[in-house]
Amino acid sequence: MDILVSSLVAGILIGMILALMALGLTIIFGVMDIVNFAHGEFLMIGMYTGLLTAQSTGMDPLLTLPVAAVVGFLLGIVCYFGFVKFLLRGPMVAQLLGTFGLMLFLRNLALLVFGSEDKGLHHGILVGKSFEIGVGVIVPATKLAAAGLSVVAFWAVWMLMNRTKIGKALTATALNAQGARYMGIPTERMNALAWGIGGGSVTVAGALLVNFWSVNPFVGILFTMIAFAIVALGGFGSVPGAFFAGIVVGIITEIPGIWDFFTYTFNLDWMANVPMTSLKYMWVYLAYFVIMVVRPRGLFGWKH
Amino acid sequence: MEALRNVFDFSDFPRIDLVVVGMVALFLVVFPLLPHSSFAMATMIQFLMFSLYGMGWNTIGGYGGQVDLGKAQYLGIGAFTTAVMLIRWDVPFWVSMPIGVALAVTWSFIIGYPLFRLTGHYFAIATIATSLVLKDIFEVWDFVGAARGLEISPIKYSPPDFLRLIFKEDIYYYYIILGFFFLGILYVNWFRKSRLGFQLRSIKDNEEVAQSLGINVHWAKIKTYAIATAFVSLVGSFHACYIKNIEPEDTMSLDLSILIALMAMLGGAGSLWGPIIGAGVLIPLKSYLKEWLGAKAGLVGIDLIIYAVIIMLISAVEPRGIWGIIEKIRRRKRA
Repeated sequence: MDILVSSLVAGILIGMILALMALGLTIIFGVMDIVNFAHGEFLMIGMYTGLLTAQSTGMDPLLTLPVAAVVGFLLGIVCYFGFVKFLLRGPMVAQLLGTFGLMLFLRNLALLVFGSEDKGLHHGILVGKSFEIGVGVIVPATKLAAAGLSVVAFWAVWMLMNRTKIGKALTATALNAQGARYMGIPTERMNALAWGIGGGSVTVAGALLVNFWSVNPFVGILFTMIAFAIVALGGFGSVPGAFFAGIVVGIITEIPGIWDFFTYTFNLDWMANVPMTSLKYMWVYLAYFVIMVVRPRGLFGWKH
Repeated sequence: MEALRNVFDFSDFPRIDLVVVGMVALFLVVFPLLPHSSFAMATMIQFLMFSLYGMGWNTIGGYGGQVDLGKAQYLGIGAFTTAVMLIRWDVPFWVSMPIGVALAVTWSFIIGYPLFRLTGHYFAIATIATSLVLKDIFEVWDFVGAARGLEISPIKYSPPDFLRLIFKEDIYYYYIILGFFFLGILYVNWFRKSRLGFQLRSIKDNEEVAQSLGINVHWAKIKTYAIATAFVSLVGSFHACYIKNIEPEDTMSLDLSILIALMAMLGGAGSLWGPIIGAGVLIPLKSYLKEWLGAKAGLVGIDLIIYAVIIMLISAVEPRGIWGIIEKIRRRKRA
């Protein structure tokens, strides 16, 4: 029983961080209908930002979030004005491959600058502490704090999108860019802002993730695919959808633990022989495929 | 007879094109006789292989406009079928290759049916997802060697072995893939003028109009997807015999799928020569950049940075590729 509960708890906690990561992708997609393959690389940059800031200043890793947010915001804006703007004129295939080029560029730049070895954080007030809840279920404090902060960041973005004038302008651009332009909304700047908010939220997720996940220049693609799955499940362009889908996908990534639970409970040999841990992320890809085929709009989607 | 004439009919290209093509073809035939390094030979074989991948991708991605980013899974199916059958049952290449193609095409029908209900971005990402699922399964599947992959050891056979395609010298591999290369060009030349080719181009231009003209859009896409798959799987089988050491990581990776699509786009998607031009530019560039900057200067990753910048430039500046630029210049001259 405790394996099942701790798998579910771990899935929900990681899911909250994954949701924050996917939020950036869904905002960018919703506002300008472009799929950003470099999204996982933004996360990787966020992870390195959190790591290096914490190591160079000696700050607690959880306090590096503002730095990561600023870096991500600027990165998003620079990418938009320096590159993505030019892709919008071209056909869809150019957008797909263009952002893929951006991904390769960022990944290999990181490889050149930071080297290929895994780097992780080993200090901070919360590292090594954990809570025990109920029946022997142990929750690491860093994961709990990271998930909590992720919810706060999510709430802030949601408030920005729904309760401010800028957020309304962004939504208007997403619904009908030409109409928004006639109403006097500077859609070009709104696109850039979408990239800024998208970049900022994903780098914050990266800085949270680096507390318990070591970083190397190649982590990006895995998270890009996870983000695609979350966005597909939640509905392309939907902010609340991203949150719930993030938690669902977080639980999907914990399928090996749940599988173990059933193996022990029913004591089945064939279940023990399946190399579930290696197939961990296959379920995420499979979920994406099934969701897209069965319900392309996703759970909360308004756009297809 | 009509079909046969179409295969060899290149008359809709300007004469200057045919002269250039003839010269390139002549160069490709005599290349192994000229003095060359073994590195240049390996690069040329890679170029021919990737041209074929690109031609396959071009049928569905270029003429049909369906951006498929999961071609590497079929490469893996072809390569692993040939390797498994050769190692376990000593089945020669010329038997295992059609079986590999048949398996890949069957798989493409199974996943193509649901896949082609999607369009645009959704389709592209779903092809990636299927490719990654298959790669993950191959990485834990002991029958195909799991993550270690398979190794064909040439000492068990007596090269040159034309049945199993085990050779010591690269020149044999070169001429075999060159034969496939010419056949591939002739096939695509027929394809673009066939009924399916015209249907596909109308689907690319406007799917609703194509549907209203009585074209079975879904079925036309699935058929073309199978054709593209056959190309990739065939060269995948060749890849197994040529490289001799195959792992899921380097035969089925996402980077490979993207490279295939990218080459066709760099050269000019939806044109006969596009993928060949793209492979001719990108493959030598990639391998020589890696040799000079990566291996010799010790700057890991800088070759891929330059490569990424090229991708970014081509997609931002001229998404129709090199062929698009050539056509633009021609149109300006005519005007």
